[in-house]
Amino acid sequence: MSMAENQALAPASEGALDMDQVEYTLRKRLPRKLPKRKNDIYVNMKTDFKAQLARCQKMLDGGCFSEICIHGLGLAINRAINIALQLQGGSFGALQIAANTSTVELVDDLELDEGEPLTRTRNNSAIHIKVFHTLPK
Amino acid sequence: MSGVNRKEKKFAKLMRNQPSNITFSSSSDPGAGRSGMGSSESQTDSPHYSCFTHHQGVNGGHVQQQQVGSSHQPSCYGDRQRGSHRGGFRGQRGSSRGNYRSYVQEIPKIITATNFAQARAAEINAMLKAVAHKSSSQFLQSLPPAMRRRAMSHNIKRLPRRLREIAKKEVEKIAQLKKEQSKSKSRKARRRHGNLLMEFNRRQRKNIWLETHIWHAKRFHMVKKWGYCLGNKPTTKSYRACYRAMSKQCLLQDLSYSCCLELSGTEDNLLKTLGRLSSRDAGTTFASVACLSGKRQGSLVLYKADQYPTKPLGPVTFLWRPKTPSENRQLWIWAHPALKMDLLTELQLVCQCLDVPVPEPAPSECKTITHVTANQTVPGLKRKLQDNAGEEVIPEKKIIGDGTRDPLQTVTWTSLTSGIVIEDLTMEILRYRLIGPLSHCVMFEALQAAAILKNSEGREESGLRCWWSEYCKRPENMTLHNGQEGVLLLLPGIASPAEIPAGTVLGLTVGDPRLNMPKDRTTAMPDPTQVKDLEKIRELCLNGVGAEFAQSEIWDRNVRNIVTETKLTEQELNQMRSKLLVPGSRLDLGPQESKVPILLVQQPGKMAGQEHTGWGSGWDILIPKGWGMAFWIPLIYRGARAGGLQEGAKHTQYKGLPHFPDDFPDCPAGIQHSMETEKELIGKYKKYPPAKRPNYIHHGTMTPFRCPWQQLVEDWKTQNQDGSFKLAGSDQEQGLRPEMQVSSREYVGVHEKEISSEEKPLKLEEEMEEESESVTTLEPNIGCENLQNPSTGDRCSESGHVSILRSRKLLKQISTWCRPTSSKGQQTRRYVGSAQVQMTADAVKAIICSHPRFLVWVRLSLLKKGSPVTNATICIPSEEDLHLLASEPNCPGPQEPKHRDPFKHQFKASKSQKKRAFSQDPETAAGDLQRKPVASCGKDLIRGLWPDRPQNVMSHCSRLTIGFVTQGDFSLTVGCGEALGFVSLVGLLHMVSSQPAERRGLALVRCPASLQYRFAKIDIEV
Repeated sequence: MSMAENQALAPASEGALDMDQVEYTLRKRLPRKLPKRKNDIYVNMKTDFKAQLARCQKMLDGGCFSEICIHGLGLAINRAINIALQLQGGSFGALQIAANTSTVELVDDLELDEGEPLTRTRNNSAIHIKVFHTLPK
Repeated sequence: MSGVNRKEKKFAKLMRNQPSNITFSSSSDPGAGRSGMGSSESQTDSPHYSCFTHHQGVNGGHVQQQQVGSSHQPSCYGDRQRGSHRGGFRGQRGSSRGNYRSYVQEIPKIITATNFAQARAAEINAMLKAVAHKSSSQFLQSLPPAMRRRAMSHNIKRLPRRLREIAKKEVEKIAQLKKEQSKSKSRKARRRHGNLLMEFNRRQRKNIWLETHIWHAKRFHMVKKWGYCLGNKPTTKSYRACYRAMSKQCLLQDLSYSCCLELSGTEDNLLKTLGRLSSRDAGTTFASVACLSGKRQGSLVLYKADQYPTKPLGPVTFLWRPKTPSENRQLWIWAHPALKMDLLTELQLVCQCLDVPVPEPAPSECKTITHVTANQTVPGLKRKLQDNAGEEVIPEKKIIGDGTRDPLQTVTWTSLTSGIVIEDLTMEILRYRLIGPLSHCVMFEALQAAAILKNSEGREESGLRCWWSEYCKRPENMTLHNGQEGVLLLLPGIASPAEIPAGTVLGLTVGDPRLNMPKDRTTAMPDPTQVKDLEKIRELCLNGVGAEFAQSEIWDRNVRNIVTETKLTEQELNQMRSKLLVPGSRLDLGPQESKVPILLVQQPGKMAGQEHTGWGSGWDILIPKGWGMAFWIPLIYRGARAGGLQEGAKHTQYKGLPHFPDDFPDCPAGIQHSMETEKELIGKYKKYPPAKRPNYIHHGTMTPFRCPWQQLVEDWKTQNQDGSFKLAGSDQEQGLRPEMQVSSREYVGVHEKEISSEEKPLKLEEEMEEESESVTTLEPNIGCENLQNPSTGDRCSESGHVSILRSRKLLKQISTWCRPTSSKGQQTRRYVGSAQVQMTADAVKAIICSHPRFLVWVRLSLLKKGSPVTNATICIPSEEDLHLLASEPNCPGPQEPKHRDPFKHQFKASKSQKKRAFSQDPETAAGDLQRKPVASCGKDLIRGLWPDRPQNVMSHCSRLTIGFVTQGDFSLTVGCGEALGFVSLVGLLHMVSSQPAERRGLALVRCPASLQYRFAKIDIEV
């Protein structure tokens, strides 16, 4: 739930590495994740959208957190944005959002049947949206 | 008249199985009571008595009746019987009611006195024998239930007066016996430390205790398995909590029971000999580059020498010691205890090792070993008993390591030809497994790198503890130590162990973890503010730990022994703590603190497949023996939750890996395991009344308690050979068959379009014929290959003739074939590129021909409801089933028609015979003899279980069976029913090739006690 699925990534560097694919097994490692605070939400494409939205809403309404951070990686960027906008739209102006984009380095293992296993890195975009209550004037 | 009859019947019912001695109560002669008892015993015990025993039995019954009916006859029957046979006859004649008619029939006209007397003498002997070993509570059990009272054994006055005297004697006797048995000891004395320890040591001699045994025994259901006492599962209800710990926090498991074998020798020799045990075809070998440098831990399945792909031994993990200045390399092979003996003998065979122990490289340490082991022996304990001063002898205190082993038993074997030394390090090194994303934090908080000693320090210390000061003297060691410490400090910056390369090894020397324990149990949480050095963390994630940092002194046996021996006891630590100026502050021992070399090994989580990669990753901690509890408690205090064998099994299941020994039906240990489980389950099944247990024959399950791999594979092979691949099958199948044929023709045709348009008109039937021909022509070759094995190992033909496909190349190929064209799998297929072989009839044929007896490990996830259980069948859905699924996606699946029970009559017959035999109906001995063979043949007939060896496993049900589930459950990771199991390779290819491309890989799963099939998706994860 909390992890962004990197399977959504398109195999962008397919042509870049021209190798005999039978000899290799490609294993994608988990994306690096910063240690998680309680108000961090990592969006994925597997969980139902409504459930993720409800989870964010609950966090904001619970009163524990004045702000939450929604992270989305790759394909999940759209969904992260969608969630943030939905939250904002449903709050009648009580919530504001601030977005940040970044690039995440992902690691793939190339396992060989013989020889040293290779690793390669590729980049993917990510978004971090802060959703917070506007200060009462 | 009828009233009398009823009364008698009632009485007979009441007195059935009752010893008749109570009727002798009026006579105080104990012999009378005994003889009565004896006779009744013989009556109840042997329903088929012979002619003479028949008399005897009747006599017994007769006496009961006589006594109750006319209690004014207190004569001692036993004496009379012993005295003369005439007495017996008088008694019989005296019984006029009830059985009178039968007796009249029974009475023979002539009796030879000698024969009769001999028979009586034999009976009397039997009676006396029966009386001789009387259980203590017999006098109580002799009372009919209606006359029993509460606490009768406690208070003798609750017994009827006439029995008191006998009972009194009995009670006294028992009391005396008890006194003699328990020699003493009050509870306080028994719980005294020394005595308790002695008791513990005694109990450890049969099954090895892990060092955390007592901790576990208080909190876990313990089981005795593989010669160890192991915690099975926590006594608290924590199934889900343990799962959550695995996936979100940290679960700790004691894996010290896994056995370590050390091989040392030159690298070339080792690789050459060990190369025979594995194959590059199956993935990793001992020679894999990353593993060979000592940087990574590797895992593989070992085979008997040069026997790949048949005759595997089992899965092992291995670890090379990083290169040291000396020429010899060290290799640790970690194996499951069920596998150890097989592995050891095979290694000895391969290395040509003899049992002769060769002088050790370090004789001093040899001495210490013998010293410790000698003290573990029984004589040592006895000495301790006599000698009060012996309390101070340290090694006698506790068994550390393997307590069951004979101290004189050799643990080292040396090869004279290659110089390879094999050493059995069972219980020498402990292994703890941390599973879950927080295992970093737990480890980081619990372990602290040892402080470096300055040159001035540590000089004055005793000789034993100075290994660290010696170690510190060399500057290169210190830079190494600093580097290792640096890596440890980086760990909390990594959120999950899955982010670093699989199998990374980190050596470390840590201080005593008991010294910086928190007061209460805490939960280690990551602290984002502490994270610095992001660049270094990135580097660590990308490349892992360098090979040089994998070096640790734990490889050195001398150091291990020193560390074990110089461990400060808990008591000593506490004494020092009590002398602290500020109570509760941290105890600083300075240079005196023990330094423990350890190894940290990363365990990769779920590697195979697309989903949930990295789930269940964690770290293994390898510790020298003796330090078990010293590390265990600090880890627990950092918020790790402890799990047992059950959690371990779930962990492998959710990772989608086969679990040893359950899921290795081709290994000797696996075969053994399945036989044991079957026996156990049948025993359990038999305990239920037939109405309260499933009738597996009705459910069409031939083997509900094991998986008949052998028959399954044979069936598919013959099916394939016959060429009647499509047409054969059970009678019920005939309706389905032609359609399947048509459909499969279409689908394979689709592929052929891609290849060449010329082949398009080719009918599949022709192909199949061709195939069958080619199979028959090919068969001799295959036969030759296979014949070599059965000729050598005919004994294992029962179940050992099945192999599991572990060739990675082939698995990958089949894996892509099993995926539907529309799903994600297709993307990877495109991604994998042109090297992948397309699924054509030829390719399939080639695989089938070359691998006729192979099983494939598959994962099944259920589409809708249902959670499969062990031994569920995996079947091929028929054409209608696929249509059904397409038309109504929410349907639960097809149903198996209820099967007829062909053994019903047999069972009924045997039952009625039994009944007749039990009834008092008098028959001649000849009749008995006639009946006996029938009864014996129906002896092992269990109602609801298929009695014979299963025949035609493949087509027993309405859908063709291709495999069985070995582990199945509702998966908490996926959120649906999930099953792991094996399918026959031939069956799988048959299924896949006959399915439409977009619905490829759909199968049916049916639990053994259910008629409902469920749809499931087959996944082969490589």
